[in-house]
Amino acid sequence: MDGGGAAELREAHRLTGHSDRVWSLAWNPFTGSGAGPVLASCGGDKAVRIWKRSPDGAWHCSDVLEDTHNRTVRSCAWSPDGKLLATASFDSTTAIWEYSGGDFECVATLEGHENEVKSVSWSSSGSLLATCSRDKTVWIWEMQPGNEYECVAVLQGHTQDVKMVQWHPFLDVLVSVSYDNSIKVWADDGDDEWHCVQTLTEADNCGHSSTVWALSFNKKGDRMVTCSDDRTLKIWDTSADLSQPKTGDDHESWRHLSTLTGYHGRTIFSAHLSSEDIIASGAGDDTICLFTEVEGPSYRLILKKEKAHDMDINCVRWCPQDPRMLASASDDGTVKLWELRGNALD
Amino acid sequence: MDQKPQDDIDFLEPSVLLDETHYEEGFKNGYNDGLVTGKEEGRQVGLKNGFQVGEELGFYQGCLDVWMSVICIDHNAFSARVRKNIEQLAALVRSYPLSDPEDEQIQDIMEKIRLKFRVITASLGAKLEYEGRPASSKHDVEDLSSV
Repeated sequence: MDGGGAAELREAHRLTGHSDRVWSLAWNPFTGSGAGPVLASCGGDKAVRIWKRSPDGAWHCSDVLEDTHNRTVRSCAWSPDGKLLATASFDSTTAIWEYSGGDFECVATLEGHENEVKSVSWSSSGSLLATCSRDKTVWIWEMQPGNEYECVAVLQGHTQDVKMVQWHPFLDVLVSVSYDNSIKVWADDGDDEWHCVQTLTEADNCGHSSTVWALSFNKKGDRMVTCSDDRTLKIWDTSADLSQPKTGDDHESWRHLSTLTGYHGRTIFSAHLSSEDIIASGAGDDTICLFTEVEGPSYRLILKKEKAHDMDINCVRWCPQDPRMLASASDDGTVKLWELRGNALD
Repeated sequence: MDQKPQDDIDFLEPSVLLDETHYEEGFKNGYNDGLVTGKEEGRQVGLKNGFQVGEELGFYQGCLDVWMSVICIDHNAFSARVRKNIEQLAALVRSYPLSDPEDEQIQDIMEKIRLKFRVITASLGAKLEYEGRPASSKHDVEDLSSV
């Protein structure tokens, strides 16, 4: 990292190719020694693009996954071992792709949702997959040998469109966020019975007052950030282990730590925590903001990048192999790669 | 002997209470008519609802019968999880109080049955659905044509 100077977010690369808005991004978490980072993007053009860095440092699109979904691909996620890519679509299906012999092949299709699938997430163990949909449900699937997927549970509880699901970084605890303004935490009792173990609302927990669009955990699993149509980011203390069934009256729960207001003038669509615990947020005001945790705990704005894109920013994702590289996706059809330079963590 | 004062009152009373008498007569007629037609209408509604509930439960029981037969022939045809879900569905369908339409739990049990059925068919990859029931959201034309 550069030695001195104020923090800045420098646009390093601009990836074009999608013919419609780009909805979501996913960095491959595990790309074998010697290979560079690999990024997947998906969007309204019903396609998924795979981006890699060439030896000369430029980025190119190495694969286009199309002709499988017949509507927008809304979300994509790599399995923890980096060998499988799940893609969730408005066509109500989730496709599983395997990368073998230099080619991506669709090896399974998960059906069950009644309408648009909004998000897909792999658990850290790699055997569980969660999806959520406008049909207000969250589905949990377990991968079986031979690319078979079994439905473990269909979780009802949200009263509106579920926007995103994300697993805890190492516990089998699932979080979902919704148009119903709430955040729900799900865990099982060890016998495939999944229940909502906590709901974070405006009334009871200083929760959001409008649609919650996204969530992100830090590496340690004790911090979660959520972002909303209410133009705030909220940080939660998630150190309580909700995967264990409660005994008696002693139940710890997740609690609100901080609300970041006034940094974005429009809906915040995406938030992501880097491995250095830097929060990146992307919003409908075309702006990216970066925050870091300071004593308190409270949060300090590192920088605000206005006009990062020409239109709404739908997704921001830190690169796991380079914690100072950030990818952003926008309604303007482009993906941008940014480098964070300077003293960001002072 | 003195004339009983009620003779005067009796004489006037019917005309004074004419409204009320007519009202009561009308009410009695309406009530009796209503009793007959209401009973008939209730019978029709009950038959219709009963048929729908019966048809839906019968559909799930039919699927269960086929699945149980498969398990009898080949115990390992389905995974342990799917077998467990099938058993749970069978228990739920058995527990539905068919003879007690006023049981508060009937809606709840039916929801659980529908959910468990979806979990099983999703795991089996079977496009199986009871046609009569409403979905949680409106199907648009695209969905119907793709089934």
